[in-house]
Amino acid sequence: MKKGLKLTDILVTIIISLIFGLVYKLWGPLYGVVSTFGLHVEQLIYGMWFIAATVAFLIIRKPGVALLAEVAAAHGEFIFGGEWGVVTLIFGIGQGLAAELVFAAFGYKRFNVFVVSLAGIGSAFASIAIDYYYGYIGDLALWNLLLMFGARIIGAIVISGIFAYLIVAALEKTGVTNLVRPASNSDYRALD
Amino acid sequence: MEFNFSFQETWLHKTNPSLKFIIIVFLFICMLFVHNINFLINFMLGTLLLYLFFTGHPWKRLILISIPFLLIFLTSSTSMIFFGKGDTTWLKWGLVHITEESFIRGVHLGFRGIVFAALGIIFALTTRPVYLFYSLMQQLKLKPKYAYSFMAAFRLIPIMLEELLTLRYALKVRGVKNQRGVKGFYQKIKHYSIPMLAQSIRRAHRIAVAMEAKRFSVATNRTFYYQIGFTKYDLLFIFYFLALFGLSFATTAYFPYLPIEDVRYNG
Repeated sequence: MKKGLKLTDILVTIIISLIFGLVYKLWGPLYGVVSTFGLHVEQLIYGMWFIAATVAFLIIRKPGVALLAEVAAAHGEFIFGGEWGVVTLIFGIGQGLAAELVFAAFGYKRFNVFVVSLAGIGSAFASIAIDYYYGYIGDLALWNLLLMFGARIIGAIVISGIFAYLIVAALEKTGVTNLVRPASNSDYRALD
Repeated sequence: MEFNFSFQETWLHKTNPSLKFIIIVFLFICMLFVHNINFLINFMLGTLLLYLFFTGHPWKRLILISIPFLLIFLTSSTSMIFFGKGDTTWLKWGLVHITEESFIRGVHLGFRGIVFAALGIIFALTTRPVYLFYSLMQQLKLKPKYAYSFMAAFRLIPIMLEELLTLRYALKVRGVKNQRGVKGFYQKIKHYSIPMLAQSIRRAHRIAVAMEAKRFSVATNRTFYYQIGFTKYDLLFIFYFLALFGLSFATTAYFPYLPIEDVRYNG
């Protein structure tokens, strides 16, 4: 079997990601509006910006897809004129890499809610690390900082973990995932 | 759906996309080490100048696009202003604790947000995606299968938008009402994402098969319809930012707006 992603995998990943890129773009103003409530309520919806990696990986289930998806989605947001500009790309690379590492740690063989949520948490940590340099968040009062972390991680688990899993589970019923997934062991067993 | 998106070509359109991209990423990294708000203000004025006068887009559009800038300023600065560390108290009201230091740091973050927003928008307004990917293939050796996949995907965006509209009408005509709260939120996501994703995956799969048949995935020795190289405008772009750096340094040194050199907390 040839290593790496085929053109089909890449194209499907990118198209999925562009859909999420549009969502990411629309999420920016929403995030802005929610953040005026104060007390980091907006961090609860931050998790949406991690979802491309987890959904694309759950659909295609190959190494490299999570990173490519997150970068492509960030690029989409950037090209649609996202408010954060270049910053999105840097965050995209960081978050995608973190999610990719989590999936790699399980040998790209686990596709359950737990692993997907863990990937979401990984992305959240990556975004926090970049924020540390970009947003001086180390200079926030401690209780406020912890509140921010907590809210962002909860958001990551709910949106990029649980929602992503449920969406792909519903998508499986439509049968399209069979088009793009590699044959699994149970498929081979069915042939015997 | 038809958009009128005409604009005048300026020298920014003629700069090499890869070069423009690398410089903007490089500026991002540089800005992370700028802690002097005076420098940042000068630099921001320089980028806004570029945004307002050299993108070649009509005024109305530029103003419309810049509305989110204000939002960026607010979202990037408010938390730091209200909850940041500092010693010279201005206002204390419950959890909110505004100090001079936190206020200035917050404003610094807001300006930083605006600088990146402006640079990003400048790039997006003056770069045709197709040229960007051709340039990435030619100058940065991006694999053609990635570049062509991106370009094919961009062509599908209008179809996706049309589908989204159809979907909205279909849900409306069937009287679908959304519940409130987290469950309603999930249902809304589901109603839109499942059909959109399913259709897009089917379409992407068909296109990919066709593209593979036409050997788009083969990487070696291909020729390109667009040849993207370097011009004198690339030098102009580099010099603009070098000059901006120099001017910002000079004005910061001789005419500072505020007597603050580092906005970080050191108490």
